[in-house]
Amino acid sequence: MPKCTIDGKEVDFKAGENLVTVAKRAGIEIPVFCYHPGLSVVAQCRMCYVEVEKMPKLQTACSTQAAEGMVVKTQSEAVKKGRAGTMEFLLLNHPLDCPICDKAGECDLQDNSFGHGSEFMRHSEERRTYVDVDMGPVIQKNMNRCIHCTRCIRFGEEVAGIHEMVAIKRGNNIDITTIDGKQLKTEYAGNYSDICPTGSLTLKDFRFRKRAWMLKKTPTVCEGCSKGCNMEVQHEGNVVYRCVPRENLEINKYWMCDEGRFNYQYAQDPSRIVDPMRKAGESWLVTRWDELLTALRNDSGGEDVLFLVGTDLTLEEMKSVQEAARIWAPRAAIRSFGTPGVESSAQDGPKDGILKMKSKTSNLKGAETLGIPPLLGAAKSTVVVVFRGGRAELPRIEAKKAYGVGVFLEKERNSVHAILPGLSFLEKDGTILNHQGTSQTLKRALLPRGKSKALGEILMLVLNQKSSEVNP
Amino acid sequence: MKEKLLSEKFYQAMKSKEPRYPNRKALILPALHQAQAEYGWLPKEILAEVAEYIGVHEAQIREVASFYTMYNLKPVGKMHLKICTNVACCLRGADELMEYAEKKLGVKCGETTPDGMFTLSEEECLGACTTAPVMMANDDYVENLDIQSLNHFLEKVKHEH
Repeated sequence: MPKCTIDGKEVDFKAGENLVTVAKRAGIEIPVFCYHPGLSVVAQCRMCYVEVEKMPKLQTACSTQAAEGMVVKTQSEAVKKGRAGTMEFLLLNHPLDCPICDKAGECDLQDNSFGHGSEFMRHSEERRTYVDVDMGPVIQKNMNRCIHCTRCIRFGEEVAGIHEMVAIKRGNNIDITTIDGKQLKTEYAGNYSDICPTGSLTLKDFRFRKRAWMLKKTPTVCEGCSKGCNMEVQHEGNVVYRCVPRENLEINKYWMCDEGRFNYQYAQDPSRIVDPMRKAGESWLVTRWDELLTALRNDSGGEDVLFLVGTDLTLEEMKSVQEAARIWAPRAAIRSFGTPGVESSAQDGPKDGILKMKSKTSNLKGAETLGIPPLLGAAKSTVVVVFRGGRAELPRIEAKKAYGVGVFLEKERNSVHAILPGLSFLEKDGTILNHQGTSQTLKRALLPRGKSKALGEILMLVLNQKSSEVNP
Repeated sequence: MKEKLLSEKFYQAMKSKEPRYPNRKALILPALHQAQAEYGWLPKEILAEVAEYIGVHEAQIREVASFYTMYNLKPVGKMHLKICTNVACCLRGADELMEYAEKKLGVKCGETTPDGMFTLSEEECLGACTTAPVMMANDDYVENLDIQSLNHFLEKVKHEH
């Protein structure tokens, strides 16, 4: 492998890699704004200056490819001066309002200014200001904070496949906006906020709800479709505030769709059922766990019983349902359900050519691996038990008695007669198989809500003869 | 297919220019010039048509057209005055000239007089720093300006039209 030297360290590199990537591997951080590993290189922010021996001037590390024997200095006096100069220019028009900016704490501009800029400011001219356009329901724009890195423009063009952001005019008057001030159309708009190195594009859903440094971060996987995008759940005090994509070059690279990003909301919807409940006439009553557990066991032991397993459950949960059914409902048929029209992975496929898949549940492949055949048409049986993670679309249920085990919202509860509340993907650990068959792990971020219980626990309690002693 | 706004002449002129440029994108500037020569200014529909002709997204044409000051994105008057306000001209009093012209014509920089006669705008370096301050009046340079000669020039134009 060819080698180059960065700050005295010898580093291996692959041909074509730029100095930012190579230095990062050696543990040397080069500050960047416009450079993003998932986007094309434009070298226009001039922040990543490095000194390369035998080159007369400072070079931008993002656009300089490593070469055999290259000697690079990232901490020389010239580099420091160059970066400080760039920082000074970038801050000419940037408001000094970090304390009230939502990006503070996770802002590249703030970090790099702290790391490479000067404490003092030499100019006293008036800063330019803009009137902002409405960018639609996802993104809030604040052009005053923009440093024109054009990441958003390149993201739209190169990743989301839609050329909706433009840089019009130039120099001091430049305006990064949408064509004719239209609202954003892409279903990947949340990424604009992730890649924005300043507080210029922020998420409407998240802004001013929590400071970035107060959030706890749990790496998990999105359950929005069979793609299995890696994401990070950011939460505090058992409340999720946002989800952001996590890098996985084989699956989602650096991105995720808005549907997946905001999917967490159903799990903390106030109308989610978190108490054991049963239907009495037209109304719903909160009841005791032991009552429902006993009823479930008594009802599902007989003939003509159908167990419906949502393809939004984890492999572990599906397997436990299979195993438990073998003991207390040996004659029950087990079928999977998830997305109408996408019953098998053969019917699954890319939906928009970017990330989204047709299957709206995460573990269709897992259900197939465990040999659970799909439910075709309506669920007709004397007793139907629905095990559901929260995302699988409920089929039409025609049964004398129907139980729901898992996550249900109030609007969904009338498909069944009793609900044993379970855990959503935010509250459990588990394994899911994405459409490629890659096994990925869900990580528990929150504590269970209300009186909901893990599916494994519910199944164990049903099995347990003494279920009447269960604490309500 | 939408009806074309640009004439056959535009497409013929562009056809003859095509071999002189290495790729389609390099044709953006000449195409915009040609379209502006034909139409006087560049409305959105024309930009969209140029984008279609070049084969790039409309957004890219918008970016280019708004970057260069010589493309008019608004209709202009019969006499388009473009005063250079870059360093050399600025040091030789371009700001005062601009202020004077604004007062004299009763419009702000970037606006057109109500009679449609004059459009006043700011221009980036015209490359005539030796004779600063400079102004372009339509396609002609007016050099070594001062308030008196600017006044004289404006009076002359008013008189002629």
